[in-house]
Amino acid sequence: MENEKQESKEEEKKGSLNLSRRDIVQGLATVPFLGMFGWSWAKKDGPDTSASGPVIETPKEFTGKELNVAMLGMGAQGQVLLNSCLRIPGLKFKAVCDIWTDLNLKRAVNLLTKYGHEVTGYEDYREMLENEKDLDAVIIATPDFWHAEHTIAFLEAGVHVYCEKEMSNTIEGARSMVDAQKRTGKLLQIGHQRRSNPRYIHCKKKLLEEADILGRITTINGQWNRGVQPDLGWPKRYELSQEKLEKYGFETMHEFRNWRWYKGLGGGPIVDLGSHQIDIYNWFLDSKPVSVMASGGVDYYEKDTHEWYDSIIALFEYQTEKGTVRASYQTITTNSSEGYFEKFMGDQGTLSISESANKSGVYREVSAPPWDEWVNKGYLSKPEKKETPAAGEGAVVDVRETASPESHTIPVELNDPYHQPHLQNFFDAIRGEAELNCPAEDGYETAVTVLKVNEAVEKGITVKFNPEEYVI
Amino acid sequence: MSFDKNEQTIGSGGIIALTLLRILIGWHFLYEGFYKLAQESWTAKPVLNGSKWIMNGVYSWIADSPSMLSFVDSLNMYGMVILGFGLILGVFTRWLALGGAVLLLLFYLINPPLPGLYYTTPTEGHYLIVNKNLIEMMALVALVFIPTGKFFGLDRFLYAFLKKS
Ligand SMILES: NC(=O)c1ccc[n+]([C@@H]2O[C@H](COP(=O)([O-])OP(=O)(O)OC[C@H]3O[C@@H](n4cnc5c(N)ncnc54)[C@H](O)[C@@H]3O)[C@@H](O)[C@H]2O)c1
Repeated sequence: MENEKQESKEEEKKGSLNLSRRDIVQGLATVPFLGMFGWSWAKKDGPDTSASGPVIETPKEFTGKELNVAMLGMGAQGQVLLNSCLRIPGLKFKAVCDIWTDLNLKRAVNLLTKYGHEVTGYEDYREMLENEKDLDAVIIATPDFWHAEHTIAFLEAGVHVYCEKEMSNTIEGARSMVDAQKRTGKLLQIGHQRRSNPRYIHCKKKLLEEADILGRITTINGQWNRGVQPDLGWPKRYELSQEKLEKYGFETMHEFRNWRWYKGLGGGPIVDLGSHQIDIYNWFLDSKPVSVMASGGVDYYEKDTHEWYDSIIALFEYQTEKGTVRASYQTITTNSSEGYFEKFMGDQGTLSISESANKSGVYREVSAPPWDEWVNKGYLSKPEKKETPAAGEGAVVDVRETASPESHTIPVELNDPYHQPHLQNFFDAIRGEAELNCPAEDGYETAVTVLKVNEAVEKGITVKFNPEEYVI
Repeated sequence: MSFDKNEQTIGSGGIIALTLLRILIGWHFLYEGFYKLAQESWTAKPVLNGSKWIMNGVYSWIADSPSMLSFVDSLNMYGMVILGFGLILGVFTRWLALGGAVLLLLFYLINPPLPGLYYTTPTEGHYLIVNKNLIEMMALVALVFIPTGKFFGLDRFLYAFLKKS
């Protein structure tokens, strides 16, 4: 027995590989590299910024106080705002007001009734103010020339106001609104909804303020190019009486529908469209222009139905803390090439942003320091190689040498309707849970900036901004 | 030619350096393979179609034949993953180095940077006849002759086994 055991042990020794410790260590020495590979494979994609979901969550469970809300002006924009409001919890609609009682007012009342709100419809806002004593907030979307009167009346009645842009069609009107806000201490939010858009906020707070990603901004360029549009019409059977039109400041049905184009009622495309984007110039730069020159005219449409300029190209000069910034802005209404966007250009990069998501992008200048830190923080998507266009036979294209700027996308998207976050911000502010994103003073500065463009065209001069004009 | 003599001539520093070279090349293969596998619709077709010089005919034929193409595609992806694992772990090192070298030669022949050939697909860097594929191929050829797996790698167990029998 003993011997057998001994022998088998010997055999085992012979049959085994006879590995020393050193053999094992060296044999397995390279295995950790596989571990390293696995680790870096898992890490390589960084934070998932595939932009499918919003980084900033908008829907909030409602717990706070229910607010009594009224709406004034239920035209195209009034309906857009109402649709957004219906997605916001915690609102109780009490009243709506519109002078087009048979059409726009009726439609709004019906819609709200369908959603379970017990609303009263009014033609005259003064009647609404008299009867509705427990309003917390009103949303105003009447034509621009009505904004001042409507806003001031509600503020003085102790109601918080969300007023559509343009704050007013005159600087004096806008100024009187700021005065009323200060006097009453009620909230006044102006409807520049980009200021509450999570993508714009991300660009302003993270990319510009924290990361200072563009370096020294020197130039801005923006546009809203819109194709030819016919004048707005109206169904004959809903025509307003001449008496009623005149009572509310319109001379004709055409004016009532196309008020934007008339002096004294609206401000034309630069005010209607430009104000959204020039507001972003001021906001992103934390500044206001010192001068503007502009070229414009009624070049295409009928002059008697289009009093305001159908095309304008404006040049602003800003003096910011970092230096001079020159900004161009154009709005035309005869061609829609490239739509609308705002583009900020600095010595280290370019930020192109638009309310329509697919137009946004951030581009690093080749000479700028790397942006990997911001990619890793999730502020920017991973860079994409810009496809170099195929060169013809005989040319060898070399992306390393002729690199165009790396292109990033902004990994924050707004999946709600454009105006919803801005309205939400207004209601949050009423409940004391937020600060207004576009309070009266900011709306006023933008109103001055934009209204002066029309003045520059009208007078054919470079208009200098008097700093006192901005101060109230 | 005995291994000990090799060790004497290239020294232990040389062995370690060459082992690292083997690992780096293995890593490169592994990542290329995994990357292609992770892309659901990766195929060599466009690359093969852009082929020039002597292999043009064969490569275009592969690209145009769906069954050949899918065979070549999988061979590529899984081949590179296997090469990657093998070279890092140092198993069958010399055979894999040879296989890798052949594969790289085939890659090289797709679009060799020869004078007189022009490519419209952008490449990084500038090459004349010699490019990175060729260099990596030659590095693998060197590893065919220097059995680094015997020193660092699972091949060490294999050699121990062979020695025993
Ligand atoms: N933020 C945005 O994106 C945006 C977009 C479009 C319009 N707007 C703004 O919204 C406002 C309304 O624009 P719109 O396109 O809806 O115009 P609209 O002409 O379609 O609607 C105006 C509505 O107000 C009503 N109205 C006019 N005078 C009134 C009065 N005195 N009292 C009560 N109701 C009155 C009209 O009957 C009409 O229903 C404007 O200030 C405009 O600049 C903002």
